[in-house]
Amino acid sequence: MTSILEWLQFVLAPQSINGLSIGVAVVLMALGLTIIFGLLDVINMAHGECYALGAYAVVVILGMGVSFWWAFLLTPLLMAAMGYAMERGLIQQVFHSKDRHTLTLLLTFGMATVMEDAIKIVFGANPRSVEAPISGATELFGLFFPNYRLFVMLLGGAIIVAVWLLVFRTSIGAIVRAAAHDKDMSASLGIPVSRVYSLTFAFGVALAGIAGVLLAPIYSVFPTMGRDFVLMAFSVVIIGGMGSIKGAVLAGLVLTQIQSLSSLLISPVWNDTLLFGIMVVVLMWRPQGLFGKLGHA
Amino acid sequence: MLDRFNSNSSKPNAVRILAIVFFATALLFALIGTVMGDSFYIRLATEALIFGGLALSVDLLLGHVGLLPLGQALFFGLGAYVSAVVLKEWAASFWLAIIVSMLFCAFAGLIGGLIAIRSKGVYFALISFGLAQVFSRVIYNTRELGASDGMTGVPVVTVVPGLQTDNPLGFFFVTWLVIGGLYLVLRYVMQTPMGRLFGAIRVNEHRVCFLGFGALRFKITAFVAAAVVAGLSGALYPMLRGFVSPELMFFQVSGNAVVNVIIGGSGTLIGALYGAGLLTVLKSILGSFTVHHHIVIGLLFVVVVIAFPRGIVGYLVPVLEARLSKKKTGDNS
Repeated sequence: MTSILEWLQFVLAPQSINGLSIGVAVVLMALGLTIIFGLLDVINMAHGECYALGAYAVVVILGMGVSFWWAFLLTPLLMAAMGYAMERGLIQQVFHSKDRHTLTLLLTFGMATVMEDAIKIVFGANPRSVEAPISGATELFGLFFPNYRLFVMLLGGAIIVAVWLLVFRTSIGAIVRAAAHDKDMSASLGIPVSRVYSLTFAFGVALAGIAGVLLAPIYSVFPTMGRDFVLMAFSVVIIGGMGSIKGAVLAGLVLTQIQSLSSLLISPVWNDTLLFGIMVVVLMWRPQGLFGKLGHA
Repeated sequence: MLDRFNSNSSKPNAVRILAIVFFATALLFALIGTVMGDSFYIRLATEALIFGGLALSVDLLLGHVGLLPLGQALFFGLGAYVSAVVLKEWAASFWLAIIVSMLFCAFAGLIGGLIAIRSKGVYFALISFGLAQVFSRVIYNTRELGASDGMTGVPVVTVVPGLQTDNPLGFFFVTWLVIGGLYLVLRYVMQTPMGRLFGAIRVNEHRVCFLGFGALRFKITAFVAAAVVAGLSGALYPMLRGFVSPELMFFQVSGNAVVNVIIGGSGTLIGALYGAGLLTVLKSILGSFTVHHHIVIGLLFVVVVIAFPRGIVGYLVPVLEARLSKKKTGDNS
């Protein structure tokens, strides 16, 4: 009996808590993707690169001798500005064509290629490391956890709650949901739909940037860091339902838990395969994902 | 009525001219390489054709059935690995390697198709992306298949007596014939009732069901066919380069194939080959100046998607048609 308790305490709990700190970042990524898809019907293939850019922004800002906290505030703003420019300058160009699903996907895919190579040109291919702003560890349940990981969980969790409140409890959120539900009706009620689209895209990109900032001190920062991470976010969004906020949060937390707990039983090499298997099974059961799209209840 | 008839009959003409120009240019390129005694260009042309085959399979799905595959390199890489394994471990036979690769890819295509085909639009794109990502990761971690290093030392084999795969010009001809054959077969299939149904599915899948055809069955057929086309092209790769590596299945390769199709012109088949040819040459030229050729190709791709979504061939065909019909009316008067 004690051995089971010990196993729970020393093996399961730390895995679960580590999984949670990554899960929070995955949920932020997935929220960005799903909000953009829910409103604009655009799959942002460059989302992983936005995440990488967020991490590199921290590297740059820290390099200028500014503290991590300023980096944490400035990066989402920079990323939002970039996202706004991307939507206005590029995505809107093809937004009104007939097969905009394919075209916007291809366009963001092209942007991802450009961004990744631009990162390589500017920063080089070598990984950079970012020092955690909070050092030390805290004792929890008789185990020591790095303070920074706990901080990521708390702050990330707070941001997720804030996004939830913003979308479902404020008039800004109501405007976004209305535009997602029926853009023509919203436009005739005086909502500047095109501006809402751009700002929403910027918001989603900023969320990817925040995920990049939060994980930069945990992982090393390198040009292709977004590619593996975004696959996880895509699986989360597909399972949770494209355009569903509830789905992104729940699927994100559950999947990262499955991922970190399964590595106790099977080699981490098979993690992706497992996640993909889950995704396939869910899709066979519910091809549209678990939950409905934003603005469609 | 007569106008319609004319435009229908002259359209294949324009495409046929472009196809003849493409395959003739490829031959010319290889012959110039031979005359200059430089096998680098012949091998480059061969590689362009091989990746052209992969692009053909993407165009079959994207341009004809309306499914965007973001993981077609899965089947390309699978064909390459099966071919390498057959040549190394089983028998050094060109034909056996080709046939086994195609069978394997047909089977893998069937399984992949059953998983992916029920999903539509962006879901299909993301699932095909995930499939390839997962499968390449498995290969990457399988020590028996060389893990991240891949497999080297694929033996030289005889294609027909007197022609071996290490003869650059000879193997170029083999590839030229295979890809040319693939192109003709696909071109023909598109004109059969099944090919017409592919187009109908792209335009409106629901209506196809109302007409009494099971769209799903045709989509799986197309998916398997595309897997076989990609696998056949991939099977040629280890014969050209003597090695395979997991990079062949990575997203870069899938993405490049989509870029080739879009820049060349989707839904035209020959556009896929033009795209692959142009981009392989462009990459080789850029590669001699900088390692960062992706950014140039990415920018080019973004411009094409925004400004010329029909691609090179999509814009050339109407121009060529206008020329041809003008000549025709000129002859009549």
